[in-house]
Amino acid sequence: MRMTSRFIFYILLILLTPQWVGAAERLLVGAAANYILPFKELAAAFEKKTDINVKWTFTSSGNLYSQIAAGAPYDIFLSADEQRPADLFRKNIAGKPFVYATGRLVLWSAQKDACRSKTWQGALKSNMKKIAIPNPEVSPYGAEAYSVIKGTGLWELVKPQLVFAQDTSQAFQYAVTGGAAIAFTSRSFTLSEQGKKGCYYMIEEAQLVRQAACILKKARNRNAAEVFSAFLLSPEAVAIRMRYGYE
Amino acid sequence: MDMNSLILSPLYLSLQLALVTTTTLILLTAPLAYLLVHARFPGKSFFEALLNLPLALPPTVIGFYLLILMGPEGAAGRTWEAVTGSPLLFTFTGITLASMVYSLPFALQPMKAAFEKIDRRLLESAYVLGLTPMSAFVKVVLPNSLHGLAASAILVFLHTLGAFGVLLIVGGSIPGETRVFSIAIYEAVQSMNYREAGILSFILLPVGFLFLLLVNRLIRR
Repeated sequence: MRMTSRFIFYILLILLTPQWVGAAERLLVGAAANYILPFKELAAAFEKKTDINVKWTFTSSGNLYSQIAAGAPYDIFLSADEQRPADLFRKNIAGKPFVYATGRLVLWSAQKDACRSKTWQGALKSNMKKIAIPNPEVSPYGAEAYSVIKGTGLWELVKPQLVFAQDTSQAFQYAVTGGAAIAFTSRSFTLSEQGKKGCYYMIEEAQLVRQAACILKKARNRNAAEVFSAFLLSPEAVAIRMRYGYE
Repeated sequence: MDMNSLILSPLYLSLQLALVTTTTLILLTAPLAYLLVHARFPGKSFFEALLNLPLALPPTVIGFYLLILMGPEGAAGRTWEAVTGSPLLFTFTGITLASMVYSLPFALQPMKAAFEKIDRRLLESAYVLGLTPMSAFVKVVLPNSLHGLAASAILVFLHTLGAFGVLLIVGGSIPGETRVFSIAIYEAVQSMNYREAGILSFILLPVGFLFLLLVNRLIRR
């Protein structure tokens, strides 16, 4: 009994001590899911150059926005639109936004013969199976997809086939795993390993998606956040994001 | 990410959360369960149903109410911020409180059952020998219901390890703070890191199995 209680005491002691004692400078980034691929490379390159440890969370811009408005402790917010950072700036929750990438909407399929039609509208019309689209309420790419489908008058036709994903990453994932035949997503995913195995249409009718970032007023590590923001616009970072289809 | 932030940090966080939740919850619910067994008061069945409500509701409903309650505008969030100066949402303290609410019925039920099984004559002798209700509880009731306490503790522990929806709503997925094991797995699946998701899931499998065997033995005793 004494042995056991001593054992339990030690386990409790270890587990109750905070985890980040003595950790190096740490930066917490909340990033829109479409930026997942370039971001991982950017963070690795940044960590090599500085002593700053970058941690991140990827989800839809809308989800990150509401978390931040409710006080989530991110240092930097990389949104997939300009509106949400501008909104946080206006509410005095974040500093002045800056555009860090410009992305494009695509229609992607894992099956190469899904792209036999000349136009993406044709591909949509001939497709009989599920179509994945990021939830327009929380994903700027989803909102863009919604407005181009509406614009071409195909909405009523494809509506029964739509499956709504949480963000661009999940929409792409639905199409990779075959849950959906095709997916509206961000161009960056077509340049991933799995993305290259499929085929895609660039949606020329869609607006370019200008993605803005902002440093939060409550950032615990303002200096690191500023260094990282500057890095996001450096030639090195531009080269990385160009490889993933961002302008 | 390296191995630390990938596997160890979420694992550690989950264990930490489960331990803290279990300890506090058992300490708080033991008297409560005893009260429910022995005390009579108006509205008792309403009160008991209220405590067991987390069993009957989807985690999203609990998560939603907690989000409102613990948010900067909510009563709990405002009070906490006024006292400590830091917010409650998206923090370890926040998800600990949330998992306590979420696991409350799992702490309550086995303990209640154990307390009900105690021979009343034991208690009566304790009172005859001059023990106060409080010391009778500590010296007679608790030692005679250890297996019930242990079953409660293990159930709460496992239920907290398995919690997902409530924690995602209240905690988000802050690395090293609220990104627990279940959320790390979800994110690995989301970003199509199936290998990573596979490793993480496989780690949890034997843990759950082992603890369930233990619960079985405790209950049979």
